Amino acid sequence: MTVIKVPHPPKGSLNPDRPASSLLLAQVVHLHEAEKNLPLRYRSERYIKSVRTEGEAASYIREVTEAIHSAHEEARRGRFAIRRKAAIAADTAGPRRKRSGTRRSAKKRNKVRGRRRG
Amino acid sequence: MPLGPGLANLQHIVVLMLENRSFDHMLGSLGIVNANIDGVSTGLSNPDTNGTLVQPQPNAQYQSQLQPDPDHHFPAVDLQIFGGNTSVGRQANMQGFVKSFFNQQQDVGRSHMIMYYFAQNQLPVLTTLALEFALFNRWFASIPGPTVCNRAFAHYGTSFGRVDMNPLEILAPFKSVYERLIGANPAHTAKIYYYDTTSSTLEVVNLLQNQPELFATYEQFLQDCASGNLPEYSFVEPNYNDHQADSGEQIASDQHPDHNVQAGELFIASVYNAIKQNPDLWASTALLVTYDEHGGIYDHVVPPSCTPDQFTASANDTGTGMPFAFDRLGVRLPAILVSPWIPKGTIVNRVFDHASIPATATKFFLGNYSPRSPREINADVFIEPRVDPVDPDRNLLSLTTMRTDCPDFET
Repeated sequence: MTVIKVPHPPKGSLNPDRPASSLLLAQVVHLHEAEKNLPLRYRSERYIKSVRTEGEAASYIREVTEAIHSAHEEARRGRFAIRRKAAIAADTAGPRRKRSGTRRSAKKRNKVRGRRRG
Repeated sequence: MPLGPGLANLQHIVVLMLENRSFDHMLGSLGIVNANIDGVSTGLSNPDTNGTLVQPQPNAQYQSQLQPDPDHHFPAVDLQIFGGNTSVGRQANMQGFVKSFFNQQQDVGRSHMIMYYFAQNQLPVLTTLALEFALFNRWFASIPGPTVCNRAFAHYGTSFGRVDMNPLEILAPFKSVYERLIGANPAHTAKIYYYDTTSSTLEVVNLLQNQPELFATYEQFLQDCASGNLPEYSFVEPNYNDHQADSGEQIASDQHPDHNVQAGELFIASVYNAIKQNPDLWASTALLVTYDEHGGIYDHVVPPSCTPDQFTASANDTGTGMPFAFDRLGVRLPAILVSPWIPKGTIVNRVFDHASIPATATKFFLGNYSPRSPREINADVFIEPRVDPVDPDRNLLSLTTMRTDCPDFET
């Protein structure tokens, strides 16, 4: 079986100060569109027109991607909490009391009360 | 012909899509190694702005050469393919690459670099995979334009009439391949693995925003491969930017100019190793390695026409003054299918584009599925559906005994 060694890039290849490519700038725009739908507390308040370098783009991309995930996670926890609350309420309500005889109408109940006063 | 163990055992399809490199640029050197590979040959050239014919040369460098990033938006690609001819009934001649690169810096000498390609020994991972497994001689970008639209064809089978880089509006009734698989009855499994949250995904506005549960990190991909929990369909995205992480420096691995190409080689090797190091996974997985579009870099093969999509881009949208009916493909790209069931040195000459990706995954896992775009319906598949009998001329996973001589990459 052949084993092929794969060289690594030289040290110094990392360059976050590199001008951001059109691809990265487009990704920033796409994330900005998605960010507009997030609740205010999740928004970055970053001015995307000021993004110039790869490092600046990377920072924004991470912040908004994690915000999207967090917002969905919060909603998921909220749905779970609502369902759990409903389940607990159903468990603690206890059995319903069975009524004897027929239920009198309000009119009849008031008529009886009137006679008693008289 | 009976199904055979390759197809019968297949449970996972993995797609790794890198960025912005053409076939000749990355694999053109292999034409000398194997005459059946349609690579660089003598007689190929492009005129520069002085009329001098510039030939392809094996002078490509890993970094710092293709600056600025060669233009790969629709109007520039039109120039590259048609050589500047805008007349009615024009013929493609692949003669406009040098002129297009000149337009960006007005530097004649620099414009010649768009014709450079890598020598075989510079790309040990990609060239080894190309020679060891199935190499596609005719895999093209879905449209002669940029990243977002081409990747849309890989996810949805269409770009919904778009040829630019703006956020896509997904139009009913077409669903992503992930939604089709997960929403099926019985449900299948699918995931998009992005490198990390700092790199994120290029499918933001629709899938990340609305279905973040589809996504996981590359670290998770490695764990899923090791534990045998890989989904049936996986789409892997490389690292799109240089950044620092808790684990150290993360060099971009997408090979988009001007990112270091060696970093992309390491990433391809990492994906391959992750699958191969789990013997059960290796025996039941097919890995497609390809690129989203050519990045403005030279290739000599004229893109063919194709079934028009049901959308049209207006003359204003294309930026060329001519509408586009999605009836011709983009520039040729490297594309390799990896599996231990593929005979060594397989060359595929059928025509494919990125619509073949959802077409293949959908047909393999779901069979007949509707609705799909006209482009996807007519796209060829690179893995035959698991239906007896299978056409032996089309089945790439054709070996009756699994190979034990597949290479290992030491990273």
